[in-house]
Amino acid sequence: MLNVIDYVPGNTLLHRLNPVAKLALAASIIAATFLANTYAALVGLLLFTLLLAAYADVFDRLARLLKLLVPIALIMLVLQLAFVRSGEPLFAFVTDEGLITGGKACLRLLGVALPLVLMLMVTKLTDLANACVEKLHIPYKYAFTFTTALRFVPVFSQEMNAIMEAQTARGVQYDTKNPFKKMQLMLPLCVPLLISSVSKTDATALAAEQRGFYLRTRESSYRRYPFAARDMVVFAVCIVLIVGGILL
Amino acid sequence: MATIIEMDNVSFSYGSEAEHALDDVSLRVDEGDFVGIIGPSGAGKSTLAACLSGAIPHHFTGELFGSTRIAGQDTCDVTLTDISRIVGSVAQDIDAQMVASVVEDELLFGLENFGIPHDQIEGRIARTLATVGIADLRDREIATLSGGQKQKVAIAAILALEPRVLVLDEPTAALDPVSSRVVFDTLADINRRLGVTVIVIEQKVALLSSYCSHIMVMDHGHIALAGTPHEVFGQSDHLRAIGVDSPRTARISNSLLRDGLTARTEPCLNVTEAEALIREVLAGVPGIADVAADEPEPSPHVSVRPRAEGADPVLTFTKVGFTYPGGGASVNDLDMTVYPGELVGIVGQNGAGKTTLTKLLNGLLKPTRGEVRVAGLDTRTTPVSTVAAHVATLFQNPDRQICKNTVLDEVAFGLELTGIDPSAARERARRVIKRFGLPATEAPFSLSRGQRQMVALAGVVVMEPDIVVLDEPTSGLDYRECMTVMETVRDMADQGSAVIMVCHDMEVVSDFAERIVVMADGRILGRGPASELFADAALMDKASVTPPQVIDLSARLARGVSPAFARITEVSDVVRTVKELMGRA
Repeated sequence: MLNVIDYVPGNTLLHRLNPVAKLALAASIIAATFLANTYAALVGLLLFTLLLAAYADVFDRLARLLKLLVPIALIMLVLQLAFVRSGEPLFAFVTDEGLITGGKACLRLLGVALPLVLMLMVTKLTDLANACVEKLHIPYKYAFTFTTALRFVPVFSQEMNAIMEAQTARGVQYDTKNPFKKMQLMLPLCVPLLISSVSKTDATALAAEQRGFYLRTRESSYRRYPFAARDMVVFAVCIVLIVGGILL
Repeated sequence: MATIIEMDNVSFSYGSEAEHALDDVSLRVDEGDFVGIIGPSGAGKSTLAACLSGAIPHHFTGELFGSTRIAGQDTCDVTLTDISRIVGSVAQDIDAQMVASVVEDELLFGLENFGIPHDQIEGRIARTLATVGIADLRDREIATLSGGQKQKVAIAAILALEPRVLVLDEPTAALDPVSSRVVFDTLADINRRLGVTVIVIEQKVALLSSYCSHIMVMDHGHIALAGTPHEVFGQSDHLRAIGVDSPRTARISNSLLRDGLTARTEPCLNVTEAEALIREVLAGVPGIADVAADEPEPSPHVSVRPRAEGADPVLTFTKVGFTYPGGGASVNDLDMTVYPGELVGIVGQNGAGKTTLTKLLNGLLKPTRGEVRVAGLDTRTTPVSTVAAHVATLFQNPDRQICKNTVLDEVAFGLELTGIDPSAARERARRVIKRFGLPATEAPFSLSRGQRQMVALAGVVVMEPDIVVLDEPTSGLDYRECMTVMETVRDMADQGSAVIMVCHDMEVVSDFAERIVVMADGRILGRGPASELFADAALMDKASVTPPQVIDLSARLARGVSPAFARITEVSDVVRTVKELMGRA
């Protein structure tokens, strides 16, 4: 079972960047996406993200996420179209202003979701945590909490799949076409999932403590994460992106 | 040898109202021992492990009496972190223990935390990986490893910290017999070469008896029996009363001793010892090499079930193939026919395709090639919820099955889903609950693991299905619970359900299944009567299946001592045959 945010091994420049630089890059693409106000800039930023993904050889994985996001973006578009009432009416309930703001909202949604996921695909979680502790002086406790939460996403989704399978085999009609009925059938499953996640979290805390979690300091990490010239270039790119976002 | 762990009159309860999970336990563990802890579920094994690793009193709260000293220090006086410098513990749920995505990083975590000088870290990692035998996995993603490999990584991550004691809570619960042995080989190697004391909780008696230097049997919070494997398994009657299995060979030698056929008081822990003992007993009895075997009597567990003449098969696989999208494992050319009232075991290693087969059967997977027919329905065109009315599955983990607030609702749920009137469903559910002696109004999640499995089983029984599928029905259960589950299932077969069970415990398979299907690499290697296939050494070898002890023993005896032992599958028949042969002298 491979998941969207799993690390994809590789040796591209993007893989070799300092995790903090990658984080900065993703953050500045997101910031620029919020700041930018023209279609050209929004499409450009989205293309930039996709190009980076193609370069790091994770385009296929990102495309799978895109497939999930596009329907959500379209729902957003429809909502925008329905709620924005100003501007010239084009057809039915659609106005030109609604179409413009709705389209941008769509692009923003995609532009915000993808860069962070891309960054997680090319960074090992342990490296991310260690580098953030070393360079950004984030307390390890928070870094560990964050990476553990991410690590549990696939674990819990597997658990959920197993529970769904067990229920399907009992005859619960998850194969129904009606999404509301499916939702209603899935809700009771939160109980077993919650119970297994609480006990898992407790076991994780105990195991971490037994491996000296509370002794860990900023100097503990065996690997060091110095900034290289390429990281400086990336920081420069970040500034360009944000300035560009403000201007466009 | 110096004592490394001492417990004096330790009692513990998880709250002032709760019953004592540990009750006046005193024990000593010497440095360099290999200690096995066994006992029925709820006996306090995990609580004992938590005391030994310092999780009690530092992580779990409750009332603790008595003292636990590790390397001379009371666990109440030092921090959990300091205890874990001496006692390394491998969690029961290794997914919860793992912190990294790559094997090397997993080992680094503990080493970094404990401040191992950075110039020694590389050496420790390389050495530990070599000791555990996973040097080639160093750069692998943990998510891509098999269960056995993951377990070794979990052990390596703790072993790299160079603890003096290693505590493991059921390390082989999710593993097949071959991987389980590999894990124990690794532990034995660590114990022997590095002198690390190993304390392991385990349900598989065959493993305990062949690897441990000491065994402790727990019952109701205290240690009921302790000693060397020979001392402990010499008391198989006492063990059975507690609810602990003994190796079948030990039961044979204990019976021979009781009947005065041998003076040897030490029980036989493996097939080689048992073979030697019976050779010795029968030495000097003339003419036994020519005694032909009786027609084997049907096993007392497997009841004679006249298959309905001319009945239609309830399940047919015709040239079934399935490949998971995205490549990976696949199954090919599965052909199988099962009639009502049959009990069929499916055996093979992890990854042989057994689980895929069960999912094809209950419709969760649709065959890519060939055809699966369940009670006349083609699973490709029938919705899973319709197939579910004919096939009931008992999953390995009952918690995935249970989703209702009371036992009664839970048991009736499956019936209601098939469209049976709720009040009629509840009436049927009540009858089954009563038969199982379960508390109808309690919340299932407040029950013990074994009882939750019984609730899930009640949910299967109440369906009165045409086919029952069991996926590892005995894992996580103690011997007594395991027998209750299997006897219930056999009753269902007597009433005409076809039972298909996937199970790693070959002793259970040979006791209950009349036919077995042997799988490896997604193919069926052989199918036929259980005793015949288990005796086929070449086939067992090819499928990496260890045959049940009794069948292995009787095959060896039939070859080397007397043909009278051929095709024997039961402990009592071995003993009876020995007696008969003695009678000829």
